[in-house]
Amino acid sequence: MARQPNAASAQASSTTAGKPARADDPRHPQRRLEACLDDGSLELLAPDDTSGMLTARGTVRGRPVIAFASDPTVMGGAMGVEGCRKVVEAYERAIEDELPIIGIWHSGGARLPEGVVSLHAVGEIFAVMTRASGLIPQISVVIGAAAGGAAYGPALTDIVILAPEGRIFVTGPDVVRSVTGEAVDALRLGGPEPHGRRSGVVHVLASSIDDAFERARSITSLLDPSAVGTCDPGSVQDRDLARSFPESARRAYDVHPVVEDLLDEGTTEELHGRWAPNIVTALGRLGGGAVGVIANNPMRLGGCLDSASAEKSARFVRMCDAFGIPLVVLVDVPGYLPGVGQEWDGVVRRGAKLLHAFAESVVPRVTVVTRKTYGGAYIAMNSRSLGATRVFAWPDAQVAVMGSVAAIRILHRRRLAEVDDAEREAVEAELAAEHDRLSGGLERAVEIGVVDEVVEPAQTRSAIAATIASAPARRGRHTNIPL
Amino acid sequence: MRHVVESELVANVIAVHVAAGQSVEPGDEVLLLESMKMEIPVLTEVAGTVTAVRVEAGDVVQEGEVLVVLDD
Repeated sequence: MARQPNAASAQASSTTAGKPARADDPRHPQRRLEACLDDGSLELLAPDDTSGMLTARGTVRGRPVIAFASDPTVMGGAMGVEGCRKVVEAYERAIEDELPIIGIWHSGGARLPEGVVSLHAVGEIFAVMTRASGLIPQISVVIGAAAGGAAYGPALTDIVILAPEGRIFVTGPDVVRSVTGEAVDALRLGGPEPHGRRSGVVHVLASSIDDAFERARSITSLLDPSAVGTCDPGSVQDRDLARSFPESARRAYDVHPVVEDLLDEGTTEELHGRWAPNIVTALGRLGGGAVGVIANNPMRLGGCLDSASAEKSARFVRMCDAFGIPLVVLVDVPGYLPGVGQEWDGVVRRGAKLLHAFAESVVPRVTVVTRKTYGGAYIAMNSRSLGATRVFAWPDAQVAVMGSVAAIRILHRRRLAEVDDAEREAVEAELAAEHDRLSGGLERAVEIGVVDEVVEPAQTRSAIAATIASAPARRGRHTNIPL
Repeated sequence: MRHVVESELVANVIAVHVAAGQSVEPGDEVLLLESMKMEIPVLTEVAGTVTAVRVEAGDVVQEGEVLVVLDD
């Protein structure tokens, strides 16, 4: 459908006198939709107008999608009744045709002059987004200010990508200043740093607007159930996944190279990379099929689970389950992070989300214990008890309630209290060795069936691929609430 | 501009690898901590010159405690 240049120029002359015509504005939503979709694929779903929203269909890497963009050339992209209705119609089309939907956001929120009726209209977008949740992938790209209702729009979707120019907040700096007296600029209030690192609102920090669109395209094709593909174990080359591990089992390391080694080359899309960095969540492909990877990262907080990382991974698990994406869980976890801060931060409540998410999910999910898995964190990291499809462990992995030295210090507290300081280390080592023998470690874990198989690091890729390929392809039936 | 390297968690300082006046690159290991039975290297995120080292080997540090101050 052709654009209507007359309508566009009429709005430009009435609202932006002296500025370039709206049709030539680089922020025009059609330019942005064209930049995001495959070349020449864009077809408008409704005529270009001054409603503040433009809706379209097109393709991403050859697959059909629905897309919409706010129109910052009209009233700063504010959302009124007409614009919201167009977005709701685009969503209904996407749900009906089971297509991913991409939203490009640059909007000050609801249109003030329209009053409560615009709030009602924005609320209807939230409702249709929730109806679409878990049925079709929803990807948001925020490339300008997204305030108020325009902040919660992206926040309700599966993925939020932020361009360097993007700002997300409920109330802008002026309101913050007038109400609380706090002086803060938009960057510090809702830019890449706070949302990438602190709030967890944003999944992907893009390096430019073009990069934001590229990330959106890549993630769309990883989440689209019609493009998820199937893992072909025959195409999987084995590599030594232990090659980036340090010599000492006590030494922390960065797990990112291990995740990259696990996935097909150049397919990794990390989500929430800087928020709760003690766990890595990444989409990618293995043997050509999309998978979601969850990996403890010992370099940060020693790889401990904490309340934020449990919540981050719980949401990731539920998203992958909703779209039929198999999960691979790389476990190297010393436990839950202890402390008053964690307890008060709700590590019990937020940690429960991860237990719930894994136990509920029906996609194939494979666990690999690389070095160690202890205690409550052992259970949470997709253990056999939570319904893992298959649990692998590397030959030197430790599977236990806690490390053996810590265990004997509790079990033999009285006896150790009577030992001279000089002898304590030797006595502890002896007790620990005995404890290992009795509690059995990895051998015992295999015997009782909580570990299915010991695999070599260099055969892990093919073992995971074979498991995923032979498990029934299933998809959870639930929404993806933004936990 | 001043940058601080903070401890992410309660930990023992095992080793300090930098001294005031030394220049560092992003990703350099400035300290080694021990916590949760793990040896956890602390890396800088920025390039700069070390202006102060606030801890020494043997110290116990709290979450959020400043370990090293840098100027870029």
